Order: sequence, then C-alpha cells, then structure tokens
Amino acid sequence: MEFGTIEREIYIEATPELVFDVVSSPDHLKQWWPDDARYEPVPGSAGEIVFGDCDAGGKRVAFTVVDARPPQTFSFRWTHPAGEVAAAGNSLLVTFELTPSGCGTLLRMTETGFREMGWEAALLEEQYREHLIGWNNFLPRLAPYVAMLRVPS
Amino acid sequence: MNAATIDAVDDDLWSAIGDPTRRRMLDALLIDGAGTATTLGHRLAITRQGTAKHLGVLERAGLVRATPAGREKRYRIDDAQFARAVAQLSSVGSAWDARLRRIKRIAEAIQQAQND
Repeated sequence: MEFGTIEREIYIEATPELVFDVVSSPDHLKQWWPDDARYEPVPGSAGEIVFGDCDAGGKRVAFTVVDARPPQTFSFRWTHPAGEVAAAGNSLLVTFELTPSGCGTLLRMTETGFREMGWEAALLEEQYREHLIGWNNFLPRLAPYVAMLRVPS
Repeated sequence: MNAATIDAVDDDLWSAIGDPTRRRMLDALLIDGAGTATTLGHRLAITRQGTAKHLGVLERAGLVRATPAGREKRYRIDDAQFARAVAQLSSVGSAWDARLRRIKRIAEAIQQAQND
C-alpha cells in the first residue's frame, strides 16, 4: 500500500445499481458523509459539500464530479480551493469501483493525492473523524510502539 | 514555526513515507532500534549508497535522527515526528472505514426494503 493512497474494499449485500446510487447521489452522500451536498452526479459538475453549520463554524469544501458510469464507476475530486478548477495537485481524487459479487457488490474505494497536497487534507479529515481504528496492515505492527509514545499536540 | 515551514515539512513527510523501500527501512529501525547505512543495506539487500540516499530523505523529513558512529552515522526513529505521521495517516484511513460502513448499512437497508 502506498502511504499517499488509501485503498479500501467492502462487500455489500445490495445490487451494484443500488450501491452506485448510494455512493453518487447527493441525497445519499449526506447520509454517510457531509451534512449537506450540492452537486449533480454527472461528470464535470462542480459543487460543494458542507460540514456542520456554515453560520456556526462549519466548513464548505469544493467537490467536483470526475466520472459517473453507473453502475461501475463514480469518482470525484474534493478539497480544491474555492474558485479553482479541480485537477491533480490541488485536490484529492476519490474513486469508487463496483463489481458484482455473488448476490451483492464488491465496493472498492481509493483516495489519492495526499503526497501532492501535503497534510492539509489529513488535518481537515481529522476534524471530522469519528473513530480511530487504524489501518489494515501497516498500523497494527506500529500500534504497540505508538502506544508508548505521546503525540505532541 | 510559521505556516509555510509546517507545510514544507509536511510535504517531505508524505514523500518520505510514500516509498515502499523507506517504509521497510522504518520497519527495520523500529524492530532493531537503530542502524547504519551498512547494517540496513545488508538487512534489506540494497546497496549502501541507496540506503544512504533513503536515510537522507527520512532525516530531512524528521522521521529519523543521526548520530556519528565511527566513520558512519547511526540512525534512530524520531519518536515524536513518527507518532505524528502515524496519527495523521491513521485518522484519514479510519474516517473512510467509518464512511464505508455507513454506505454498506444504507445500501443494505434499502435493498432489504425492496426485497420485502
């Protein structure tokens, strides 16, 4: 695994068409990620996702759909500066790939662009994280070591 | 440290840790406690020159610290910087774990409702 890339895979007992809808439509996105989502789920659509209440310290984050091919692929870029066109180097690229598997769907997610962007995005994520359960492979080996350390604040 | 300096340091961190050979070196240093370009080169079966270059990148990123050891330098993990890197990387990964669990729950609930 590249540290500049996050890769995840999860099996879902639902059809690819249904899963595609859940990962791509703004109404569904709001259920599993931001508090609000404004974009059209079609390639090139530029919009935003919102975390919290913008009148009370919330945050708007740029969101641009890159690819939408139901029911196989949905990808978008986010975290580019407002007003800038999303491109490699100014944003993170998230790609969902859906494959039929048994009676359900294998959903594969990759997020890339961290190395190009530096740590800003990681810090942004940290504000909204809900759990700290660690990475699948690298972290378990490090966890006992890290537990002995104090993370500087 | 001002914001620009922090950004530069952070870019170095991502690049440093993004390379598989350097991650193996960090692993080796975690297990062994310390190492020189020669000992790490032997352990990981790469040239001393290649090892020295990778150690230089890790040192610039603040992930390892060098002390003189005869004609060579002895390298150790910098605990604070390393913990910081792990904490930030794990927070990004775990955020996606949580999101994907929610995607699964939502999709399966809708599917279940359609099947009933």
